[in-house]
Amino acid sequence: MHVPDGVLPFWVYILFLIISLPVLGFAVRNVNRRFDDRLTPYMGVLAAVIFAAQFVNFPVPPASGHLVGTTLLAVMLGPWAAMVIMALVLFVQALYGDGGLIAFGLNFFNMGILGAIFGWGIALVLFKGLTRIQDEKISVLIATAIAAFVTTLGTAFILGLELLTIPGLSFEFVYIITGIHGFIALGEAILTFAILLYFVKAKPKLIAFLKDSDTGKALGVKMSATPIVTIEEGT
Amino acid sequence: MDRNTVVRVIIPAIIVLFALISVLILTGFASGNPDGFEWSLFEWAGITEPEGGFGGIFAFLGEGPLVDVVTGGIGIVLILIIAYLFFRFTSRRTE
Repeated sequence: MHVPDGVLPFWVYILFLIISLPVLGFAVRNVNRRFDDRLTPYMGVLAAVIFAAQFVNFPVPPASGHLVGTTLLAVMLGPWAAMVIMALVLFVQALYGDGGLIAFGLNFFNMGILGAIFGWGIALVLFKGLTRIQDEKISVLIATAIAAFVTTLGTAFILGLELLTIPGLSFEFVYIITGIHGFIALGEAILTFAILLYFVKAKPKLIAFLKDSDTGKALGVKMSATPIVTIEEGT
Repeated sequence: MDRNTVVRVIIPAIIVLFALISVLILTGFASGNPDGFEWSLFEWAGITEPEGGFGGIFAFLGEGPLVDVVTGGIGIVLILIIAYLFFRFTSRRTE
């Protein structure tokens, strides 16, 4: 899903830089307000986990896909921290030639902003519904996997629309890129489920959706005890 | 960052990630950079891959599994340090 430099018209890259950079600034400000430095080692480790996970391609003939991980991060740390981590990962990847430096705004918009907002929102709605009938740990796993699937598919559709700015590309391209991402989204859901299962077993306090979560407390979010989401300023 | 966190979280994470990424690259499961997904579709749509561009800071090392292992390992440590420092300076201090 990484768009390199030189593919889309230059004005598209600039437009997305103008859109994405203020959002990134807003996300940084939110992290500053809500997280304390006890959580920073985990954020660093999660950034490294996502960076490493994106190295691994799974085959989707005739192409291939890899984990994006934004939904996973959003469920664990909230959408703002997820955006900041994705921005860091995408920046280092751009230095490696994976995705472009000028295309950073576009890639961050697709994988950071859209992924975090939709992934978080869909997972939250599903999680609240599932906790009425299921244990919260099972609920968070199922909700996150489904959200990861839907978000990847939706993001691919948006990416297809963005690619239509390339002269000569027909709308059929959008169907194809979305269709192939159906299989990639399935891989995303499975990998998200597997990684989250590890954290649910090993360190459930890191998952913001679960009660008594350290990150949940940092975000001021109460999930399973009550279906109401409250933001407590200054906590 | 206290010593316990380094010993319990950071060092094992780096070792596990480095080992994992090395195995995946050497067994051929890791992606090339950039991955070929969009290009295969562009080729299908009759659009040619643009020439040149920024090949990455390690482009001078050439290509190959061993280069990928080394640069991948450097990347893991690099992103961990950048992310840690970034969040360290943008998070509230513990009271």
